Amino acid sequence: MKKFAIALLALGLSMTQVGCEKFLDVAPPYTQDADNFFNTPVDYERALIGAYDLLQGSFMSTWIGEIASDNSIAGGESVTDSEGLHEIDAMSHDAVNDDLRKVFRWNYAGITRVNYIMEHKDKLDFQGKDEILGQARFLRAFYYFELVKFFGDVPLVVDKRLGSSEATLYDRAPASEVYAQIESDLSFAVSTLDWTAAEKGRITKGAALSLLGKVYLYQDKFDLAAATFKQVIDQNQYKLISDYKKIFTVANEGHSETVFDVEYSGAEGGSYGCMICLEGNASPGFQGIRQYNGPVYGDGNSYNLPTQNLFDAFAANDPRRDASILDIDDFISKQANPSAITYAKGGGGHTGFYNNKYIKKQGEIGLPDNDLTSPVNYKVIRYADVLLMAAEANARKGGADEALARTYLNQVRTRAGLANSSASGQALVEAIWAERRLELSGEGHRFFDLVRTGQAKDAIDGFVVGKHELFPIPQVEIDLAGGKWIQNPNY
Amino acid sequence: MIKGLYKKVWMLAGISAALAAPNTLSAQTSGESIESDTIEEVLVVGYGRSTKKEFTGANSSLKGQSLEKLNIPRLDQALQGQIAGVTISTNSGSPGGASQIRIRGLSTFGDNDPLILVDGVVYDSEGLNALNPADIESINVLKDATAGIYGVRAANGVIIVETKRGKFNAVPKWEVSGFYGLQQTANKLNLLTATEYAVLKNEMFANGGQTMPFNNTALGTGTNWQDSVFQTAPVVSYNASVSGGTAQSTYSIAGGYYDQMGIVGLDKARFKRLNGRVNFDTKMSDNLRLSSVFLYTNEQRSGLPENGIGSVLYNTINAFPTDPIRDQNGRYTYLEEVADIINPMAQMENTYNWAWVNKFVGKEELAWDIKPNLTFTNRFNYNFASVDAKVFSPLVWFGPGKAQNTAINENLDPSLVEIAPGTFIDRGASVTESHSSFTDLNYESFFNHSKDLGGNQALKTTLGVSIFQRRGDYLSGTGYNIPNNSVEYADISANLAPGGFLNNVSSWQFTERLLSGFLRTEYSRSGKYFVSGILRRDGSSKFGPNARWGWFPTLSGSWLLSDEDFFHSKAIRSAKIRMSYGVSGNDQIENFAYRGLLNGEGVYVFNDIIVSGVAIGRASNPDLKWESTHQFNLGTDLSVGRQLDLTLNYFMKNTRDLLFQPDVSGILGTSGAGSYPPIINAGDVSNTGVELELQYRFIPRPDWTWSMGFNGAVLKNEVKSTPEGVDFIPGAAFGVGGNIATRFEMGFPIGYFVGYQVDGVFQTQDEIDASPVKQAGAKPGDFRYKDIDGDGKISFSDNSDKTYLGSPIPKVTLGYNTNFKYKNVDVSIQLYAALGQKIVRNYERQQPYANMLDYNIRRWTGPGSTNEYARLGTDLNRNAVFSDFYVEDGSFVRLRNVQIGYNLPAEKAARLHMQGLRVYMSGNNLFTLTNYMGFDPDIGSAGGALASGVDYGFYPQARNLMLGFNLRF
Repeated sequence: MKKFAIALLALGLSMTQVGCEKFLDVAPPYTQDADNFFNTPVDYERALIGAYDLLQGSFMSTWIGEIASDNSIAGGESVTDSEGLHEIDAMSHDAVNDDLRKVFRWNYAGITRVNYIMEHKDKLDFQGKDEILGQARFLRAFYYFELVKFFGDVPLVVDKRLGSSEATLYDRAPASEVYAQIESDLSFAVSTLDWTAAEKGRITKGAALSLLGKVYLYQDKFDLAAATFKQVIDQNQYKLISDYKKIFTVANEGHSETVFDVEYSGAEGGSYGCMICLEGNASPGFQGIRQYNGPVYGDGNSYNLPTQNLFDAFAANDPRRDASILDIDDFISKQANPSAITYAKGGGGHTGFYNNKYIKKQGEIGLPDNDLTSPVNYKVIRYADVLLMAAEANARKGGADEALARTYLNQVRTRAGLANSSASGQALVEAIWAERRLELSGEGHRFFDLVRTGQAKDAIDGFVVGKHELFPIPQVEIDLAGGKWIQNPNY
Repeated sequence: MIKGLYKKVWMLAGISAALAAPNTLSAQTSGESIESDTIEEVLVVGYGRSTKKEFTGANSSLKGQSLEKLNIPRLDQALQGQIAGVTISTNSGSPGGASQIRIRGLSTFGDNDPLILVDGVVYDSEGLNALNPADIESINVLKDATAGIYGVRAANGVIIVETKRGKFNAVPKWEVSGFYGLQQTANKLNLLTATEYAVLKNEMFANGGQTMPFNNTALGTGTNWQDSVFQTAPVVSYNASVSGGTAQSTYSIAGGYYDQMGIVGLDKARFKRLNGRVNFDTKMSDNLRLSSVFLYTNEQRSGLPENGIGSVLYNTINAFPTDPIRDQNGRYTYLEEVADIINPMAQMENTYNWAWVNKFVGKEELAWDIKPNLTFTNRFNYNFASVDAKVFSPLVWFGPGKAQNTAINENLDPSLVEIAPGTFIDRGASVTESHSSFTDLNYESFFNHSKDLGGNQALKTTLGVSIFQRRGDYLSGTGYNIPNNSVEYADISANLAPGGFLNNVSSWQFTERLLSGFLRTEYSRSGKYFVSGILRRDGSSKFGPNARWGWFPTLSGSWLLSDEDFFHSKAIRSAKIRMSYGVSGNDQIENFAYRGLLNGEGVYVFNDIIVSGVAIGRASNPDLKWESTHQFNLGTDLSVGRQLDLTLNYFMKNTRDLLFQPDVSGILGTSGAGSYPPIINAGDVSNTGVELELQYRFIPRPDWTWSMGFNGAVLKNEVKSTPEGVDFIPGAAFGVGGNIATRFEMGFPIGYFVGYQVDGVFQTQDEIDASPVKQAGAKPGDFRYKDIDGDGKISFSDNSDKTYLGSPIPKVTLGYNTNFKYKNVDVSIQLYAALGQKIVRNYERQQPYANMLDYNIRRWTGPGSTNEYARLGTDLNRNAVFSDFYVEDGSFVRLRNVQIGYNLPAEKAARLHMQGLRVYMSGNNLFTLTNYMGFDPDIGSAGGALASGVDYGFYPQARNLMLGFNLRF
């Protein structure tokens, strides 16, 4: 009997132990391991699309770029809804802020997807690889530029992915190092990309040069900036379109003023559960008119509402005022049957104005939840911005070329139907800054322009010099990286 | 018990895994017998049988009839209050809605479901809808480490269900039963009437410096939305069965039909089920026995949106009493002022949502008695489920600004979508169809051996292997432009979109496997001392090569004290002490979690077309392994006289290496779409508790019997550690875009509630100014919060002033049932109580126009008016942040079931050629004693362990009155 039991035991154990490893080694069907990829050119292309994906989270940066400035208030349903944005609005934000954390995390997610490609850049050689790597490095530069604008010094991870315990090995790199990496990535993109791309939405040489010029401008490298923008302008690739209103419509997308757009589609539904999963633009719905029932527009969440101060900054005859700002009560009063048109004021604040560039309109509505799925592209860089940046660089560089600066500035003013500026010296610089606000309001640039030009403390209530130039690194990110990153000053 | 006889019975029970036992069992199942459980009761334990006397573990068993009697369609709901230490809470009271089963507390924030085996076939708790309680012969719940015979899947306990079987040499016994019932809601909320609403809203707007919305507040009671949404709904069920046997074979064949409509939605929330069952056992030769089980289920379920924003009940609670259901033109009203509240009647009418399930479960088992004391059993199990689902989404306009609108205006015009440059399609009515199927195949082979070692010693051994595989696949797609906006054409094949354009087309597949070997040795001496050791080895495909295999040992023993010579007690008939310790596992995580796969979402738009790339999904962790639960149990079983049985257990259960997906640094880049941090093993949870079960029976005269059962459990749950660098894991959210209300944090119960603590109401501005604690923005009438960290201010932007506000886990659960029989009349009562848990009231939409509960009438209106309720106002205030104001005592006592039956006297029945006839009247959920304001305090979770006790307006359990019969012939 004993022998029998031992035989049984041996049988049982051998069945489970030996030769069964194979049975348990189940491969996941129809998917690939991350470490067994990049075997064909198509693999590189598909990973590149994954890296582009994070551009679609830029809506958060653009909201903050406006709400933090004197251009708009946070708005929304209540102060506890998107509390982080309300705190930024009031300049009372601290290191606990979900919205800032999204900016931090989403941009690193984009960087990681580029680094995944770069980690394997030598695995395969094929024609067209440089174009793929050029686009990838542009994207990494874009994401790092967002981070350095918001947070200053940030950990610099390049060409590799990090294991779960490796975050603690990285300290915050000085902003200058981050900028050096950005410049290097963009220079590579400039050297590999063409002025035109086969597909709408792809990054071009013009986009790379324009972003590079902007990066120089943010570092006050005016000579380099001026020279870089000159390449873009002299190429004659881009033209201002005559009707300012049509810059932001879906029907007119890809027009001659487009330098770099984030592309959106309304053909996929979305939900609040995953804002980074959206293929549509969340801005028009968020900035739409609360519970609006009437012609032309759709209903939205009344966020990011322009201020009276911005409205008043425009000359009454400046067509950009009404194209940029919707005065809702004025609009309703001019409709056929005003009493039938209704809307609600949000508990998060009401100014009577809405962002008329990115607002939910009938005919530009995506799938449910259509507050989140607008097909309207976000204009990251358009030619008017390039001209104004070029004007500023020429007006501020050593041995300023004021004539050229005025030429660029006046191109923008002429399109708006305004008289030419003949300012010079500091007045010219200030005229260019003032024009930037009017031309680009609601597009997410204002706060960063105010900060880099030293105007923030006068323009923004509650702005503390030496503190609010940078946003705080989210405390939870400091903790998760081992707690040794030093917080930005005065937070 | 005659001592000499014991060994034979014991050994018999151990060997005869298949056939001997049913005879023993069925003796107790006929009629309404209330004969006590004796210590010779046979228990189905893993890969064999045992008796109550010899079993060394902590278990609770139940007869099928005590489940069937409740007329509840699901096993889990029927189990509530019946077994000490098994807590059932209801995730949804809708027909076919699920419950959560927790054996001895919550062990993880992941999957806490026990392993459920029906005739040895793995059922997941989601699949329980398919099981007809009328088919159940017995249930045995393994609560302690002796569940470790099931190794890596046993950490949350094991529920062993056996279906009914026939008897040898028995004439066919026919049985037909049925009932018809009417259900109603047991509770409605006390909401504001139209006048109260208008008065309070005017005050609220005035306080916010806004125009008052109502010029006239004399609006009467207005619309009571609940009266329209809740309806009386029927439930009907029929079962028929025949069982019996010849000298060589036994059979039990049954069919059942069940149809329940919802108290919300009627046909829109309906559950229909057809069951068929064949159990067939035969002696193929003297030493070869075949046992065969076949269960078929066909289910159809329709459903409405439940739980949280967007659900029918959430809309009902928050709809304005001042708006009628329909306006004078007969159109549903729009409830315009709140974007995310839609007309619940319009919502129900426009919801079309069905699922069909076909499930085939079976077992073929061959037992070969090689020698009288050695049996070799081979069995093959299968569980195939096919699930088809269809959602029809018509073009609907619920009003301006509603997220649920599918049309772009009230003319029901569809939206246009560009699917290729310049190609636009209408997005008309759509239909989404999906098909998924799951196939479990399981082969098990084991020996049961017993040996008399002489000197009153005996040894039983079970040794075997098990091979398990589950495959699943899924395919779904959405077709647009369904003709006529009509459900009559709700099929993808009917779509009119150009080129048959489909959207949301998706699919997945998976395979998982488990390979196991197990050994159990049971030693007994003199019928008084029992020692049992279990060793299981599991290999699971869920884990990587570094941690695929695990050992799961258990040691247990018992001592039958009352059989000792020194034990002289007339009162105590039997006394037994048990002890067990062992390790079991929990492998319930998604497949391939250990690998880094390119299944993230990398999607962008080029040329206006959505293009898909790749992105890394979850980061890999090749060292990922199962959670392990280390459990100690000390228990005793006592029988006092012939009337009282008592079981007492004390347990300590520590779960380690929780499968954990902690937050990681953003620079790891796992925050993109479809990307996740790696799952790691970290964190410990402990559950400690005491369980008591009492059975009492009293038979003063042959025609008069009375019995009752009581069970109770006390449980303490505590998180012992979180991963390094993680203070807590945030859980469920409160309100809209609001704060986190629950956490997994060291030193607290899983999913405890955390927020601000209200310390009265500021009465005057002077009081605010004089307050030593600065609370930014406070006005008279606002809640005064406690300064938890003592820094002199209330911080709303960080966690420093948040504190423990209660736990969703009941401190005590109690069950009580009693059966009384006098001559031909029987009465039974079942009560259930859960005490000491809290519930978060999270179904109030904190929005200016939403309707409110009537406690708001007691709002603060001026200095001295109240120190309990805050003022109302549309201005910026902090009264709606998550605080203990929104946490209520969830304790309740519920009369689960009352039943009165009449049995036709035997001689009359015989004259009518019947064996017996019983007719009865039964009521479920007739009465609940609670202070909880919501619909139903018996709530589970809307999403995982960390959302327990957060009430999003759950679909409440119905009150149910039934008439039924049971006919045997």
